[in-house]
Amino acid sequence: MATEKMKLEVWKGDWGLPSVDPHCLAVLAYCKFSQVPVDVIKSGNPWRSPSGNFPVLRHGNSAYSRVTDIFTFLRKEHWGNDSHLTTKESADVIAFCAMLEEKLLPALLHLWWMDDKTYVDITRPWYAKAIPFPLSLFVPQQRQKRAEVRVLLTKGGDHITDAETESKIYKEAKECLNLLSYKLGDKEFMFGRKPSSLDAMVFGYLTPLLKAPLSSNTLQSHLQQCTNLCQLCNSILTTYFPVELKELAEKRKQEEDERKAQGGRTDMAEFPNRRRNMILAGLFAITAMVGYAFASGLIQVQISDSETGSSAKRFLPAPPQAVHRTGYDQSTVLDGQQQEGED
Amino acid sequence: MSLTEYAIQATLGGKKETANEPWPDDVILYQQYQVEQITLPDYAQCLAVETFLHMCGLKFRVEQRTNAEEMSPSGRKVPFIQVGPYLVSEFEPVVGFVNTKGFYLTKDMPDTERSEMRAYMSMIENIMGNAELYLAWLNTDIANEVTKPRYGCSYPWPLNWILPWRKQRDIRAKLKANEWAVKSLEEVCEEVKICCQALSERLEKKQFFFGDHPTELDALVFGHLYTIVTTILPGGHFTAVVQEFPNLAQFCKRIEDKYFKLGFD
Repeated sequence: MATEKMKLEVWKGDWGLPSVDPHCLAVLAYCKFSQVPVDVIKSGNPWRSPSGNFPVLRHGNSAYSRVTDIFTFLRKEHWGNDSHLTTKESADVIAFCAMLEEKLLPALLHLWWMDDKTYVDITRPWYAKAIPFPLSLFVPQQRQKRAEVRVLLTKGGDHITDAETESKIYKEAKECLNLLSYKLGDKEFMFGRKPSSLDAMVFGYLTPLLKAPLSSNTLQSHLQQCTNLCQLCNSILTTYFPVELKELAEKRKQEEDERKAQGGRTDMAEFPNRRRNMILAGLFAITAMVGYAFASGLIQVQISDSETGSSAKRFLPAPPQAVHRTGYDQSTVLDGQQQEGED
Repeated sequence: MSLTEYAIQATLGGKKETANEPWPDDVILYQQYQVEQITLPDYAQCLAVETFLHMCGLKFRVEQRTNAEEMSPSGRKVPFIQVGPYLVSEFEPVVGFVNTKGFYLTKDMPDTERSEMRAYMSMIENIMGNAELYLAWLNTDIANEVTKPRYGCSYPWPLNWILPWRKQRDIRAKLKANEWAVKSLEEVCEEVKICCQALSERLEKKQFFFGDHPTELDALVFGHLYTIVTTILPGGHFTAVVQEFPNLAQFCKRIEDKYFKLGFD
């Protein structure tokens, strides 16, 4: 029906996911559910987006960058998958989406951007790699700052410490997961057998948490205990995104092959070389600098006896041999040479 | 759920008899002066808590203080109740506290319905709460003509200018952080409309949101909608939106008749 193909730009994927960003995942899932014909562009350059963030849906001259805007736009173009819902269920969709934003999003922002371990081990390296060079120096910090402000201003305050804020938002997030799990029950999707936009949102928020290589995170282990939610995410992933899973399997296999072929020696062999090179480079640099300093007269070694040395002599440039002399008769030799020169 | 409630549960956990102690007679709910001082978002919160306590059939008396905001234990959030040695502020902690005292509105609720109720409560807090803050503090006309003079009314000259300005700055920072500040007034009205539509569809022709008995959600919805409908602000943006839904207006009337007419006699 669309005369022109829509273009959807999203953050790149990883860990077997089509994208790592919750909102991008939600939009991708929504598009797959209702088979919207979009060209998906996986990008890492936030300057391509008018809002500095993804997802961005472009159609003709207009660009939509907020998830709700994108959903509204798609619905207007009759690409909806919520048409089978009753009005009451549509109301539930709005309510649960608000709950996800209010209760779960702060915890996820905290986990990805404010938890030191996750930020240093996963988030920062991932974004530094995904974003092209000059931007990668400051965009991750910018995003971290934004997440921090959002979490602290909406959930924290002067009356509680950051640690208390943290425990509060994680508690709320766990409760939110429980409520979602009750709502899902043993149904295939939130509202029966067909996926809805709420399933897309839940998928977006939960799958990165489920698949990311976090080490012993309480929120992740809590999610793993909600088996029906995990099942929902996995079934959406296998049904609608089979390509990414295949890619992941291939990548894993490739990595394993490489490891087998090299037998883990590369790292070991590379390491001492690097240190030796560093030391050599350092030595070379120091030698060069000291040599230059002597040659240009920045450093002068001059030793003179206290009784014969006068201030006028001390400021004369020393001849080269004087520099290396260490004898007691330094000043007399010097005087002799100068007298010869004057003669 | 919040920290305060968590702390209370921890303190009460050890001594069950304290938790089951009947509701004391001298419970006080503190808020700012209703006629001259209180702002729209704060009044919605106060009314929601009052309604909830009325629904539970609990006795309390309302104390109006000019500095209620500074007295609050959770950092400038009104209202708060004083029950014996405990101070509890904001809607969800109060609900949690009342539950630990053995009074429930939703004891035998199935899990699915409970999760739906919590979702709608989040929606009210997220959409209505932010929209009210936006309208009261970020809309230039309303902030300058209504909100700031009211907020500063109890302070002498330089303070009645500085404190509202500082409050406005804080609210602006908060709404900027959760991306509400960039919205236009039309967009905010649209959000409110979506929220009301969802509530209206959920309520249908029923007396309360979940069958014949009131729940926390009813108290929260009443607090916000009644405040929006009855507060006269220049422009009247939200009032017009809410009045598009006749069943919500009837709902407000019903709750008012049931819980507030008796109290004022």
